[in-house]
Amino acid sequence: MSSINKSIQQITALEELAHRDTLLNKLAPSVKLIITFIYVITVISFRPLDVSGLVFFASFPVFLMIIGEIPFQVLLSRCMIALPFAFFAGLSNLFLEKNTIFYFGKFGITEGEITFTSLMLKAVLTVMAVLLLVASTSMNDLIYTLISLHIPSILVIQIMMTYRYMSVLLKEASLMYHAYLLRAPKEKSIKLNDMGTFLGQMILRSIDRAERIYHAMQCRGFNGGMEFSKREKLGIKGWITVVVAGSLIIILRVVNINKIL
Amino acid sequence: MHMSDSLVSFAVGTTMAAVSTGAVGYSIRKIKKTDLDNSKIPMMGVMGAFVFAAQMINFTIPGTGSSGHIGGGILLAALLGPYPAFITLTSVLIIQALFFADGGLLALGCNIFNMGFLTCFIAYPFIYRQILKKSVTPKRIALAAILAVVIGLQLGSFSVVVETTASGVTELPFRSLLIWMQPIHLAIGIIEGVITGAVLSFVYKSRKEIIMNSLEKGTQKKISMKRVLVIFAIAAIFIGGFLSYFASSNPDGLEWAIQGITQGSEIVNSSKTHLKAQELQENTAILPHYSFDGEAQDSVLGTSVSGVIGGIVTLVVTIVSGLVIMKIKKNKGNRVVTDK
Repeated sequence: MSSINKSIQQITALEELAHRDTLLNKLAPSVKLIITFIYVITVISFRPLDVSGLVFFASFPVFLMIIGEIPFQVLLSRCMIALPFAFFAGLSNLFLEKNTIFYFGKFGITEGEITFTSLMLKAVLTVMAVLLLVASTSMNDLIYTLISLHIPSILVIQIMMTYRYMSVLLKEASLMYHAYLLRAPKEKSIKLNDMGTFLGQMILRSIDRAERIYHAMQCRGFNGGMEFSKREKLGIKGWITVVVAGSLIIILRVVNINKIL
Repeated sequence: MHMSDSLVSFAVGTTMAAVSTGAVGYSIRKIKKTDLDNSKIPMMGVMGAFVFAAQMINFTIPGTGSSGHIGGGILLAALLGPYPAFITLTSVLIIQALFFADGGLLALGCNIFNMGFLTCFIAYPFIYRQILKKSVTPKRIALAAILAVVIGLQLGSFSVVVETTASGVTELPFRSLLIWMQPIHLAIGIIEGVITGAVLSFVYKSRKEIIMNSLEKGTQKKISMKRVLVIFAIAAIFIGGFLSYFASSNPDGLEWAIQGITQGSEIVNSSKTHLKAQELQENTAILPHYSFDGEAQDSVLGTSVSGVIGGIVTLVVTIVSGLVIMKIKKNKGNRVVTDK
């Protein structure tokens, strides 16, 4: 029950952030999408032992968080979801790579500790980058961008409809769940035996809803495709932003700033 | 089972993205050509939302005190047919990656392949449909669902192991990772399979036509074994040949390219530990004059500490410049208000 409410809150929280008037929100969505891709790929390209190079890359999300006026806690709580698997995958490095690389006072720092830190940093930075994109871009703008990038309309409609109906079905699931628990006060959650009927009912309700939605869409002239009056183009300003930001990221990766400093 | 960006290398991520894009493109063509009347479009969207909602409902696993939730791949394939189910799952995975930090942009191709392709195009046609070929009864549906979910999850987790190992992010050997992943997903698969079977049996008993329609449609347009094998062969060639080369000799293809640009591979003839130390020193050679003393070990310590200091300095500069921009923006806003 709490996880359902939490999910609804999560969806609305990011959506609210995306509709504000900040410098980051004003940037064209396709510009943000391309820069995010460049950033993620560049972060992933770091060698497992190159932790200090990654530290430089932490500047990017921090800077965007400031100009996007995005609360740190919202992004951090989302980040936690992505970390467990990376944590367990990296944990083995701690035990298997025991070569001491250098000493910090009396403490020896092993290769495994460095690669583990690097993996966790990469996880946080890449997740932050994607979350910043979504927290500063509304769903409609993302959809326009996908269409501008010639993503097939069937897939775009699916993303749009799934996103729109997620909170509707979550609320319905929450009501059904609540009703079940009222009828079974001794249970903490749904019994395995009842799960088939419970989810089966939910499917039948969803199918009926989909049919009603289809009729409503037909009444509004739906013909299987998507019509948009606005097709976003990158423009000179957008290209300049992509080239400048992209070059900065790549320069930060290729040029060894440590040596320059 | 969602893989995050940090677990895949550039080469693995892009290769799997290419494979998944091919499968998505093929499915869309197939749907447009044969499978879809317009009414199925909102159906697919709502069913995608259903998978989200259903995943939020936890159930009690008897005897363990813990709880679980369903995955949804086989469920969608059984209700919508394999091609629409694959597209629906792809959109669910895209939303999970973007809005829930579950997965990542670069790892999206891997996740679509592991959770969408393997369930919709391997487990569904070759397990679920085969069992229901002769006759369809609630019991057979339950059995088909359990086996399809278990095999789909086993293939998915095996694929995760292969992709993680090929990416070279973990020191855990392939075998150990496999021993760790497969049994966990077997247990998850059995429980998820039982639930999926129970749900599909319920739907069959209440609205038989929903299950039968997608089964009959699937019969008319069989998934070509040849095409599945071609996609697998392409993936295998990429992973086995191209990727393993980069994964073993160079940690990453992009990194190899960058090394080519910067000509940074200067390390010759030394012990493994020394090589690693030297690599670390090279990467962290910031503020060299601030090294602690001339000793090799201390020099590494000095440079690494100064490397981190350099990073922090950059971070502070970034924060300050961000704050300055915000201040200018706010002042501008105030000026506009006073001008009015």
